[in-house]
Amino acid sequence: MEYAFLTWQIPYIGAILALLLNRAGKVRDVIAVLAIFGAAVASTLTLQEALASEEAIHISYPWIKSLGVTFGVYVDSLAAVMALIVAWLSFLIAVYSLKYMEGDPGLTRYWFFFDFFVGSMLLLVLADNLILMFLGWEGTGLASYALIGHWYTDEDEKCVGDIGRKALGVPMWFPPSHSGLRAIVFTRLGDVGFIAGIGAIYYFTHTFSIPEIAHMVGEWAGPLAHAGLLFPFLLIFSLGAFAKSAQFPFHEWLVTAMTGPTSVSALIHAATMVKAGVYFLLRFSPIFVLAAHEIPAAEPQVHAFFTAVALIGGFTAFFMATQALVSRELKLILAFSTASQLGYMFLALGAAGLIAEFPMGFLAGFSHLMSHAIFKASLFLVAGAVIHVVHSRFIDDMGGLWKAMKWSFLAMSLAALSLMGVPPFMGFWTKDTIIEVAKESGVFLAYLFGVVTAGLTAFYSTRMVIRTFLYEMSENVRHAEEHHHLHEAHPLMLIPYLALALVSFIVGLSWPVYGPEILGAMVSNVLGIHEEFHPHVHLDIGLLATSLTMVFGGMLVAIGLYMTSSGRVTVRSLRENPAGKVIHDFLYDRWYINSIYYIVIVGGFAWLSRTIFKYFDSLIVDGFYHRFIPWLTDRLSVLGFKYFETEVVDETYHDRIVRMFKAFGSYVRRLQTGLVNQYLVAFFIGLLVVLFLLLWVG
Amino acid sequence: MILETPYMFLSVVVPMVISLIFPFLDLGKKAFATISTVLLLIPLAVVSWLSYVSGLSEPVLDPVFFAHPTLGNFTMLLDSISAPLAISIGLVTSMISWYSLKYMDHRFEEMEEEGHKPASWGVYYMLYILFSAAMMGTVLSTNLIEFYIFLEISLLPSFLLIAFYGYGKRERIALLYLIWTHVGALAFLVGTLILGLNVGTFDYFNPIKAVANLGLGNALPEAIRFPVFIAILIGLFVKMAVFGVHIWLPYAHAEAPTPVSALLSPNLIGIAAYAMIRIAYVLFPADFQALAPYMLGLALLTIIYGGLMALAQDDFKRFLAYSSVSQMGYLLMGIASVTALGMAGAILHYAAHAVGKALLFATAGVLITQLHGLRSLSKMGGLAPKMPLTASLALIGFMHITGVPPSLGLWSEVLILAGVANFAVKMNQFVLVTLFLLIGIGLSTAYSFITMRRIFFGKPSEAAEHAQEAGGNLLIPMIVIAAVGLILFLVPQLLVDPMVKALAGLLG
Repeated sequence: MEYAFLTWQIPYIGAILALLLNRAGKVRDVIAVLAIFGAAVASTLTLQEALASEEAIHISYPWIKSLGVTFGVYVDSLAAVMALIVAWLSFLIAVYSLKYMEGDPGLTRYWFFFDFFVGSMLLLVLADNLILMFLGWEGTGLASYALIGHWYTDEDEKCVGDIGRKALGVPMWFPPSHSGLRAIVFTRLGDVGFIAGIGAIYYFTHTFSIPEIAHMVGEWAGPLAHAGLLFPFLLIFSLGAFAKSAQFPFHEWLVTAMTGPTSVSALIHAATMVKAGVYFLLRFSPIFVLAAHEIPAAEPQVHAFFTAVALIGGFTAFFMATQALVSRELKLILAFSTASQLGYMFLALGAAGLIAEFPMGFLAGFSHLMSHAIFKASLFLVAGAVIHVVHSRFIDDMGGLWKAMKWSFLAMSLAALSLMGVPPFMGFWTKDTIIEVAKESGVFLAYLFGVVTAGLTAFYSTRMVIRTFLYEMSENVRHAEEHHHLHEAHPLMLIPYLALALVSFIVGLSWPVYGPEILGAMVSNVLGIHEEFHPHVHLDIGLLATSLTMVFGGMLVAIGLYMTSSGRVTVRSLRENPAGKVIHDFLYDRWYINSIYYIVIVGGFAWLSRTIFKYFDSLIVDGFYHRFIPWLTDRLSVLGFKYFETEVVDETYHDRIVRMFKAFGSYVRRLQTGLVNQYLVAFFIGLLVVLFLLLWVG
Repeated sequence: MILETPYMFLSVVVPMVISLIFPFLDLGKKAFATISTVLLLIPLAVVSWLSYVSGLSEPVLDPVFFAHPTLGNFTMLLDSISAPLAISIGLVTSMISWYSLKYMDHRFEEMEEEGHKPASWGVYYMLYILFSAAMMGTVLSTNLIEFYIFLEISLLPSFLLIAFYGYGKRERIALLYLIWTHVGALAFLVGTLILGLNVGTFDYFNPIKAVANLGLGNALPEAIRFPVFIAILIGLFVKMAVFGVHIWLPYAHAEAPTPVSALLSPNLIGIAAYAMIRIAYVLFPADFQALAPYMLGLALLTIIYGGLMALAQDDFKRFLAYSSVSQMGYLLMGIASVTALGMAGAILHYAAHAVGKALLFATAGVLITQLHGLRSLSKMGGLAPKMPLTASLALIGFMHITGVPPSLGLWSEVLILAGVANFAVKMNQFVLVTLFLLIGIGLSTAYSFITMRRIFFGKPSEAAEHAQEAGGNLLIPMIVIAAVGLILFLVPQLLVDPMVKALAGLLG
């Protein structure tokens, strides 16, 4: 059956219906959500089918025949599980949005792009060829642009960052329409590499089909490897993945994407968009490994690529986690955290290509994608509910909310424990495997990043929970309490995030029993992975001790600093200390990288554009053609005219060039007279003469 | 397939002839607009119908309606390469003819307020039809002289439209436009005449055998072949306004009355790109191949340069004009790849750019009529809440020129880039070319979405206070154009399949 097609088509249909039902209010909203539900059901049936079948399900219809672009789906266990995660998470987030977005004036637009987003993500997951995948890929780009900039009238409370704050003279607050712009520009830069890579593969294989390029790996990777181009090629081809998944140096767009409605943030961070980049690597890294196996010359270059991925991933994990340490905005902490966790996934996949058992690293990345999707969706949705209640995005305006929002507190705590990697939560199992493969990969720096980040993650997560729910009540919260504004979230919002938090806990709890089975299903049939692999859950005691020390260390420091009165004094004195302030500002202003981008790249291009326009385009080009040449021809024609008057019968005068200049010069002189009609008559006559001449010659 | 009646020729010439009596008719503006739109729908209907009937799998030809021993055969050809252009021209010219009614009403009022007496509605629509139909004639031509004549006929009315109804120093700019395009046309004509008189025919497409006269230029003596090729190339470059000879375009396209800009910018200049394939490549395939790497460099330079200049503009129409320069770079890039993918992408991008740029110039026109002639980007902002439909249409326009789905532009972008990647790998310059593409496409994306933001998003500007949506006479034609672009996104195979096949045949 063609459930796989339905999986991505239903959300698109939902998007169109949402547009058509523009004035239908609630009906439109419910239909948009039902469409995602339909996709979720279809994805479940697809998974069932995929698991039952020995081989990948590959159904395709011809579309652009001349190029071999098909309209098809390719469902192996990777695509099926991924689609399942995307569709069900999107559904829960959609349900939450029903309440969260209630009363928003732009709901039609919201639901259109929401469904469009989910459809595009599912399309890129299920597509059987690169072009169709690229189409979905670009679709997520458009939808994220629109949704991040949903509140495009740019009110201050919709911004991200501290209004008025500048770093190196560059503003550090971003209104929604600016954030949307950043998202589309940053991610499309990477997409250029993606499509160029597709073009290069097509040059060698004459196909866009993903399974085909896996089978024909020698035909494209071979010549590239022999030319020494495979390493740059792989980086360029994967550039889209780096940009989509906000890996350094493309991380900046994700941070400011927080200007979208919180439900959108949850969607972007948990189910769609940023996971697309990781999915890209999951999809293609087995093929890259295959290239290394089949072609001896490719081996060092593929190795270099995976090392680069591991290092970039590890660095991003560390680098973004440091920024989360000091952030004052609840959603921003989560955003830094997402980029950091994506770094872990990249680290896993990079390491996978370097170790003997590729599937182990592959599964580490894949399972962490899944566990992260679940807990991060939950965290964002809680954050949305909290922000809704306190009417502020800053954690300084929160604190002490646990009494009024017990269930939300429970959900956030469970999800945060999973994020920290505390046993037996799901995040613990998946993150620890990543650290294990990182160690095995032999890229020590990446491993070190992984371990240190575990401690940082525990710290910022604990701090976040404390500052939101446990810390002493802020002015703002006390005020709200007095006016009886504090309340638990509406069930439509609460149930999705509580359910996700519980899933993260329960699955983690049962991991030693069911984990191998789940992992086995995920890797049972993946394009490009040929060897049998039987996953098992095991614990390396040394490694466990290291990572748990980091985790509990981070946690205890956070508790010590934020839960005790002496700790709070310490925090305050740290902030007042000059050295402490320098470090704080460095982290708070995102290592000044945003400022550097604006000063060097944005400023550089703006300067180039202005300067070239002013001095080259307007002065030299325009001046040359429209001032110098007319002046020159005018002079020449004046001279020629005199010459003609005095020496009428001069053979040399009839030289063609002068005549041409004269004609040209007279055009120019007419510039001032504006006698257009005369010219037209002459022009028509000239044209006729040319024609008659031609006929006569013939 | 050779038709028995020259339907295409008639559909081009009949509207032209009818339009000649417009200045003598005493009709209301609505009647003129209606007649003119209907007249321009005729060629659109004919080419669409012929495309449908033939499936574009084989060339459709009018019977030869003029034959001469030296000049060759004059007839009209619709095949997979000319169809995307013909359909875009038919679509944009007919819809903008409708759009002109409301817009020119505003322009007439404005000019009268300034104390000018603009030429009548009859003159406007006569010139408009002559211009539009001549462009259609150009792309359907099969003969160099025929092509040249139609090109001249398209030039003259567009020149007068600028001179009569343009903005700023309109007469000076109109003349500037005329001279510039003539310099290009002259180079083209000289090359053409030397070629045709030497090889004995001006046909670049043989209507009897229904095949392109591939390699016709090779019959020229070695010493003059290359200069002739260069002359033709230079003529086309000027017309296309590539870097170095682009400077006339921002003047003409920015100061033309907006409906005319909407025709000039995507439709007219892109014809030169079409001629690059249809004429320059077909006649001189080997020389073309040899120069391809340089043309690719020129294309990348044009993309980046046009993008940088667009970023520096404050006038919305001038911004769009520079963006057209940059977009012509994309067309040239696809062509310079000398691959079926890239060339098909270029032709498709002609259509995508036609949809996109027509929508954007029409948006500029809507803002001019609704906001008292406002063109300055820095005075706009926050218009989307007041004009959501206009904002959506403009976004669709930008999506077309940047290649964001679900727009036809996605396909042209994919095809062009895939073609260029092919070429770059073959030339062993994959990394370098990708680097330049990153800058070029980065700039295009940036200037498009920055401008979208400057006009429509952010806190409401002063201009936004009194803004309101324009009426159906402006918006419905835009909606039709946008809808075609979105629908074609779903069925690219209709155009791409036959085109790739035909181009692969040409490229051997």
